[in-house]
Amino acid sequence: MRVGAVSRETSNKRFMTLALLPAWVFIIGLIGYPLVMVLIDAFSNAHLVNANVSGFAGLDNFDKVVSDPHFGPAAANTAVWTVGSVLGEFVIGLGAALLLNAKVRGQGFFRVAAFIPWLVPIVVAGMTWEWILNPDFGILNSLLVQWGLVEAPINFLGDKSWAMATVIVVNIWRTFPYYAITFLAAMQAIPGELYEAASIDGAGAFRRFWHVTMPQLRSPALIIVFVHMIWTAVNFDFIWVMTQGGPNYATETLPIMIYRYSMQQFDVGAASALSTIMLVATTLIFVVYYRYRRRLSDEMVG
Amino acid sequence: MTLIARRRIGTTITYVLMAFLLLFTLFPFLWMLLSALKPADEIRLRTPSFLIRHPTFDNFTRVLVDHHFLMFIKNSLVVSLVACAFSLVISLLAGYVFSRHYRRKLVQSTNFAMLISQMVPPVLLLVPLYITMRNLELLDTYWALILAYTTFVIPLSTFMLSSAYDSIPASLEEAAEIDGAGRMRTLINVVIPVMIPSIVSVALYSFITAWNEFMFGYIFTSTDSMRTITPAIMLFKGANTVDWGGLMASSVIAVLPVAVIFLFLQRLFMSGMMSGAVKG
Repeated sequence: MRVGAVSRETSNKRFMTLALLPAWVFIIGLIGYPLVMVLIDAFSNAHLVNANVSGFAGLDNFDKVVSDPHFGPAAANTAVWTVGSVLGEFVIGLGAALLLNAKVRGQGFFRVAAFIPWLVPIVVAGMTWEWILNPDFGILNSLLVQWGLVEAPINFLGDKSWAMATVIVVNIWRTFPYYAITFLAAMQAIPGELYEAASIDGAGAFRRFWHVTMPQLRSPALIIVFVHMIWTAVNFDFIWVMTQGGPNYATETLPIMIYRYSMQQFDVGAASALSTIMLVATTLIFVVYYRYRRRLSDEMVG
Repeated sequence: MTLIARRRIGTTITYVLMAFLLLFTLFPFLWMLLSALKPADEIRLRTPSFLIRHPTFDNFTRVLVDHHFLMFIKNSLVVSLVACAFSLVISLLAGYVFSRHYRRKLVQSTNFAMLISQMVPPVLLLVPLYITMRNLELLDTYWALILAYTTFVIPLSTFMLSSAYDSIPASLEEAAEIDGAGRMRTLINVVIPVMIPSIVSVALYSFITAWNEFMFGYIFTSTDSMRTITPAIMLFKGANTVDWGGLMASSVIAVLPVAVIFLFLQRLFMSGMMSGAVKG
């Protein structure tokens, strides 16, 4: 019996190790190791092509990044891009979830149709909207002019004052379905009796939403906003595909700067320093999230 | 106002708002398809029309044959399918251990490593990954993309499969083990067959993530013969700034496989998404 127990324990351990090994190989090799390299390169002289550039650089790379005239504007753009996108996604996603939760005919079809943008490659979303918004042959400008809403076509992506707003709207278009589906799932988990009880107490539709639905959405909302803050802040694809940071740096965000440092200037040190700055910012957001989340669950339990 | 009248107004408002929502989500697809089917002279009109006078497949044939999109599709398929298969095998194994031995230290630390990995944004690892791939001489091969895509879907796939295993009683395996089957055989012959729906959801997630990915494909590949479809569209636009018909045709092509999979398996996919959403 005892011998059997020991051998079972050994075989358990061996099985666990073997089963987790492939996952560890990938995570250490392609996430852990690069992560360490970023931190090392941030303090080194490193060039993508020229191997002769090497050695400890101290804080030179950070100094270079922070004193880059594009850094301040790019950080501000990143903030506008992130907050604008997440806010828009949240509001439209919540509205869509309320609509899709309504008991009407064709509900299944509506849900599928509202979800579809989320499946599209970002390049395709970018290209299609660029075509719709084209100042010369685009359908939107044509309709706006026909309806007399604008005098002349708007150069949505080529005009400095429109470009950022435009890219944000396209991002919202593609991402809000994810919020909608998350909120919808949370709404369906709310027991119907809660609404009945509120109705009996004389609460109208708005008060039922505010006092019954909203509190139940707090926890999923917190997660989804947190995750998307990070995903949006570090997103390279949308902006690169639509404006490449232009016109005249109007949509240049920090990930675009990382790309320019590394793939255009071959300055691995500067790119790694900027990556490190963003990693620290991400970690700080995570800490704030974590503390807020603990407070929230304490409230819910207590 | 009577209750019925009030309810009817409410329903009408719901439908009107729903119509706006669908116009917002679906119009770009409609416009993409219409533009892809228009001949060049109808594309470049000051006042574009919703009707096509001379519908044509010219844009598709030009893009597919002259601009090598057939090859890009093949490359994307190879990379996405292999990455999908790799990540499935890895997360089926890891997810099983997560579910059955959650209290173990090794499992807890793996879980923690995966949570952290999921929070690390790929763009911040771009430079060292590029250098690593270059040193391994994997740039401009399928492997650079396969390895990257596999890695970045492992955490979520493992979490999803682990909760799928949770719903399967351990007694199922114990019975098989009493019959003398080894752990791996039990897993393959007894446990995995009963969770095919979850496996399909996870496979779809990995496939679509890989198929849609842009940044790594754009940076790790520089020759046409290895290029995947998403960077190909971007480069096609750079080289043919005026060919919007071709661009929309290539967009339709890039969306098609994902749309087809989704429409066939939407019930499965939506329920998987919704359950994942509640847990996440």
